[in-house]
Amino acid sequence: MTGDSVLIEAEGVSKVYRVGEISVSALKSVDLKVVRGEFTAVAGPSGSGKSTLLNILSGLDTPTAGRVSLAGTPISEMSGRVLSDFRRDHIGFIFQAFNLIPVLTVLENIEYILLLQGVSRRARRERVRKMLSTVGLEGMEDRRPPQLSGGQQQRVAVARAMVSRPDLILADEPTANLDSATGGALLDLMRELNESRRMTFLFSSHDRMIMDRAKRLVVLRDGSLVQDVTRSGP
Amino acid sequence: MLFLMKIAWMNSFRNARRTLLAGLAIGIGLAALIFTDGLMIGMSDSIVRIATDTFMGHGQVHAEGFTRTHDLARVVRELPGVLERLKSEPEVERISLRVQTPGMLASPATSGTVLLYGVDPGLERVFSRVDEAIVEGSFLERNDRRKILLGSKLAEALEIGLGDRVVVTAAEAESGELAQEMFRVGGIFHFNVRELDGGVGFAHIETVQRLLGLPGEVHEIAVHFKGFSGNEATDAGFWSRYSQSGNEARSWRELMPQLSAVLDMSGFSSLIVGVILFGVVSLGIVNTLFMSLHERMFEYGVLRAVGTRPGRMAMMILFEAGALSLFSILIGCCIGFVVTFLYSIRGIDYAGIEFAGVTLREMIYPVLRLEQFVLFPTCVFLFTLVAGIYPAVYAARLKPAHAMKTYE
Repeated sequence: MTGDSVLIEAEGVSKVYRVGEISVSALKSVDLKVVRGEFTAVAGPSGSGKSTLLNILSGLDTPTAGRVSLAGTPISEMSGRVLSDFRRDHIGFIFQAFNLIPVLTVLENIEYILLLQGVSRRARRERVRKMLSTVGLEGMEDRRPPQLSGGQQQRVAVARAMVSRPDLILADEPTANLDSATGGALLDLMRELNESRRMTFLFSSHDRMIMDRAKRLVVLRDGSLVQDVTRSGP
Repeated sequence: MLFLMKIAWMNSFRNARRTLLAGLAIGIGLAALIFTDGLMIGMSDSIVRIATDTFMGHGQVHAEGFTRTHDLARVVRELPGVLERLKSEPEVERISLRVQTPGMLASPATSGTVLLYGVDPGLERVFSRVDEAIVEGSFLERNDRRKILLGSKLAEALEIGLGDRVVVTAAEAESGELAQEMFRVGGIFHFNVRELDGGVGFAHIETVQRLLGLPGEVHEIAVHFKGFSGNEATDAGFWSRYSQSGNEARSWRELMPQLSAVLDMSGFSSLIVGVILFGVVSLGIVNTLFMSLHERMFEYGVLRAVGTRPGRMAMMILFEAGALSLFSILIGCCIGFVVTFLYSIRGIDYAGIEFAGVTLREMIYPVLRLEQFVLFPTCVFLFTLVAGIYPAVYAARLKPAHAMKTYE
């Protein structure tokens, strides 16, 4: 796959939630292409369908209609173990509430995915240490999440998302639980990783900081894509 | 796999109070099972010991058909040879020789029926507990040819006491002619067993042999085994060796089938109680696991999202169930051991309570057995894993987006 090849391709993606007799259209025939190396923010007010779109693009949820491909593989038709393995190998996740496993150390939290991938212990440890160094958490390998600040926990989450060298990193409101200084620093870190390693980032957020730093801004409203702006500057 | 086990083990103790309470509930159930089993073994041993030590012995040899027909002419065949062989059996501790006959017992005031046993005073004194049951007078001595021992209720019914004369009328074994012997009441016994106290008498074996016209013959050889462990019969070979030449040898289980059946049934009852207990415990485990699952649903959603396969998720829940189970087993075994051990020393007073026709006269001492700490914990472990299947399948089927959305 070339450097500017299409990584994500969503065609006519719709999602309807049914609650009893009531149907709610969360997404209405959304078309979206994300090219490898992009730093894209999906913005929109609450209930606009940002999280739903990210969930469908990452295979965490299935569309009611339409199809989604990631790196040329149609993921909207996968299920169970195959889909789990695909997510493990191709997608990194960063969540709003950090969601580290509190009983594991920082090192163990990050190496978990590598463990699922069957990477040897030595290689795992080496990659985790390098990743910790990248996110500025050297020397904190043996701490547990509750012993870290919110910003540090989110850095661990970034390291966890990146350690398996996925094609795509999805971040669902990653700065929502951080103060603006910490959130800004985290975004700078992700932007730097995006530029230096050409990692593809896709955010959902209504945080102005993210929207300002994104190279591309996709805006959703009431489940429809209403704006798609690519910025040329840094 | 080890990593999943580690997560599961540590997750189990994230809500320490809940784990402790669940562990205590399961552990106390296990401890109750260990104690109940120990008590049942102790009670069973005690009942069998009372039933066999009182008079019957661990087994008996009769002429074939005697116990069925009560034909007095059916005496033990080849008695000297049988006795010789019994004495050389390493497992036989002691024996007693007896003749028996139903008879009419007449006192100066009234008369009644009696089952009269002729016993060898020397052998019987060490074999059974008749001498210990004497409440008035004394046991038979070697030369007490005219002395009769009567049950307390029988003596009361016949309005007789120590020193009174009674006449026993019985049929001669071969001819069927009526024969009589006069005795003087030399002892009153009280076993607190209806059948013995209300209808049995003991006299010198030679006197009863003469009454029945059976000099030197016996109807019954009662046998006591060395190291008899209560509920177990001796090896099958013994019974077949002595069930030859017109004789039949039978264990207490065959001689008292109703007691054997009741004991078997009580074992079955324990099994049912155990199954019910484990069922309740299982529901507790399912509840605990689901509480834990719902509490950490977002986390499980994240684990699924980052690529944990459904099977591994299920495995993790099962490991968590296993961890809870091991913790509970540790608690249960400790409590079960301590309680059972304490009562195995102190005993539980069941004296006077009748069970399966046997009146308990002594303390019941629960018995500790290795299998209680192997079999029951294994069952708890397996039950826990089975109970964990439902939450495990639930976790495996979790849709990550749904889990994270619903529980964030």
